[in-house]
Amino acid sequence: MSDKIINDRGLVVRHSLIELVEHWSIALSGLLLLVTGIFELPMANRYYITSIPGLSWSGDFIKSLYIHYAASVFFIAAAVFHLIYHGILGERGMIPRRGDLKSSIEVMKSFFGKGEEPPFHKYLPEQRLAYVGMAIIIAMLILSGLIKTYKNLYAPDMSLTMVLWATWVHNVFFMLFILAFVAHIGAILLKPNRPMIRGIFTGTVRLDYARHRHPLWIREMQGEKANQLTDAESVAKSPTPGGYDAAGEQMGKETPSVVASEGIIGADQGEEIREEAKDKEQ
Amino acid sequence: MSRDKKAGLSRRVFLKVSTGVAAAGAGLALPGAGVAAAGKRLATLIDLSRCDGCPGKDIPACVEVCKTINRDKIPKIHEPIPEPWPRKTIEDWSKKREVFNRLTPYNFIYVHQAEIDEGGQKRTVFVPRRCMHCDNPACATICPFSANHKYENGAVVIDQDLCFGGAKCKAVCPWEIPQRQSGVGIYLHILPSLAGNGVMYKCDLCNDRLMEGKLPGCVEACPQQAMIIGDRKEIYALAEERAKAMKGFIYGKKENGGTATLYVSPVSFASLNGTMKKQPGMPDMGPAERRMAKTDKMGKAVLQAPLYGIAAGVAGAFMALSRRKGRVKGGEGSHE
Repeated sequence: MSDKIINDRGLVVRHSLIELVEHWSIALSGLLLLVTGIFELPMANRYYITSIPGLSWSGDFIKSLYIHYAASVFFIAAAVFHLIYHGILGERGMIPRRGDLKSSIEVMKSFFGKGEEPPFHKYLPEQRLAYVGMAIIIAMLILSGLIKTYKNLYAPDMSLTMVLWATWVHNVFFMLFILAFVAHIGAILLKPNRPMIRGIFTGTVRLDYARHRHPLWIREMQGEKANQLTDAESVAKSPTPGGYDAAGEQMGKETPSVVASEGIIGADQGEEIREEAKDKEQ
Repeated sequence: MSRDKKAGLSRRVFLKVSTGVAAAGAGLALPGAGVAAAGKRLATLIDLSRCDGCPGKDIPACVEVCKTINRDKIPKIHEPIPEPWPRKTIEDWSKKREVFNRLTPYNFIYVHQAEIDEGGQKRTVFVPRRCMHCDNPACATICPFSANHKYENGAVVIDQDLCFGGAKCKAVCPWEIPQRQSGVGIYLHILPSLAGNGVMYKCDLCNDRLMEGKLPGCVEACPQQAMIIGDRKEIYALAEERAKAMKGFIYGKKENGGTATLYVSPVSFASLNGTMKKQPGMPDMGPAERRMAKTDKMGKAVLQAPLYGIAAGVAGAFMALSRRKGRVKGGEGSHE
């Protein structure tokens, strides 16, 4: 895990280079798959997309299939890499925890001005839930896509039942993929979430934001780096604009009690810290 | 799938019938029913030296019987046919059902008359044209709804209850065989003006009849036994044999990557093709490359992609663990 606080720059490293490459490989190839998938429906000629300069190829099903294949090489390799790499390293920060559903509702309510949002770990509870949703969608798209590709290459007379299953799973999860993509973009555009946008481009988020909104994450990192940086130093060096002071200082004064070598705290420990942080805020 | 099983069970019966008819009609010995029944895949031979275009008949026998068998295939057309948006293409053959000299949604086979002039010698050759039932048919594999499927016996069949009439199958077919009828099909029940535009129709090799142990209508009706259906290997061998005997030519063996329809002709297909002008509903007989082949290499990379991911994931994690171990060791060292 590469997460760390860079006090002198007032930043927190949220994603490693590898994670950024994973995300953008899946995002860009996924977008290309989505577009070429629409062209395969077929939509391009009917909707005059073929008339758009540079997109005349969109009406050629063989060309768009070639691009669909090429994009899926990256998509599949990145998705499998993600599972294997983080699986072996035991990085499970995005796996949902107990109580995530309830917390997600609280957070969503807070977006509409109802109540306060609870203190967060590195990821919001709905991010963890959305991750599982997206992972299922991607897994189903890949599995059904592999069957369809095998059929195209080696077994055009594959059992109709198998072909129909693969086709319709691919089509249904393609629609869910579009919805998930729209929801993903919608979520990052919500005002409270916007400070996270820079994270997926640069790998870092502002320390004051992280202190205010992700105190449990900061605490995990401080637990890890306790021997490198004292809390007092951390507080002194961190910028403390506006409303972020209180939360930041509170977290700064705490002695790290949980050290999670993989950057993950168990569900029970998480609950405990959340309660503790709530008390302090009150 | 019961349909698959049914096809498997009935094939034995059918092949007995087909080989019998072929042997009797063609005057050439075909391997016995036992050998034929062991084969799973079928092929058709169309012998142009035998087809005479059915002189004296208004409509050639193969076309007539095909029309009769499929008369009620297309359900009643929705009136008015919904106008698709934004491209407003509507294809309606429902008021021209009688057309028999080209492919239409109501006519799956027609006979082309080729006037050949070979070295001053004039000759008329009749060429029945219908779906070739390709070995790896792009029309079926690329169908976004799998409404078009190639069965194990080789028949490429469109399920009219699943087809949206996007005409993708027609676009990828080298001969543009499938024909669209608008105003019919599943799209009417979804978003008729925004998605879909009818149903695609073409020869299905009389797959329902095959499953009942019967012959395809055109094969059965041909008075000249110009068409023979049977075990693929045997039909391929027979085509070679006949082509050799007449010093003729074969079409369909390599075209579009191979097909289950072999034409045998005493005149070259280049000459025949010279008499054909490719136009809607009237395919030519030119060289037909399998365009999907261009995607095969990339398709293989797709199938290998999970392995790329596993290899990179294991290597990456191993490196990360080594670094982590190094850091821990380094940390321990500094304490000491």
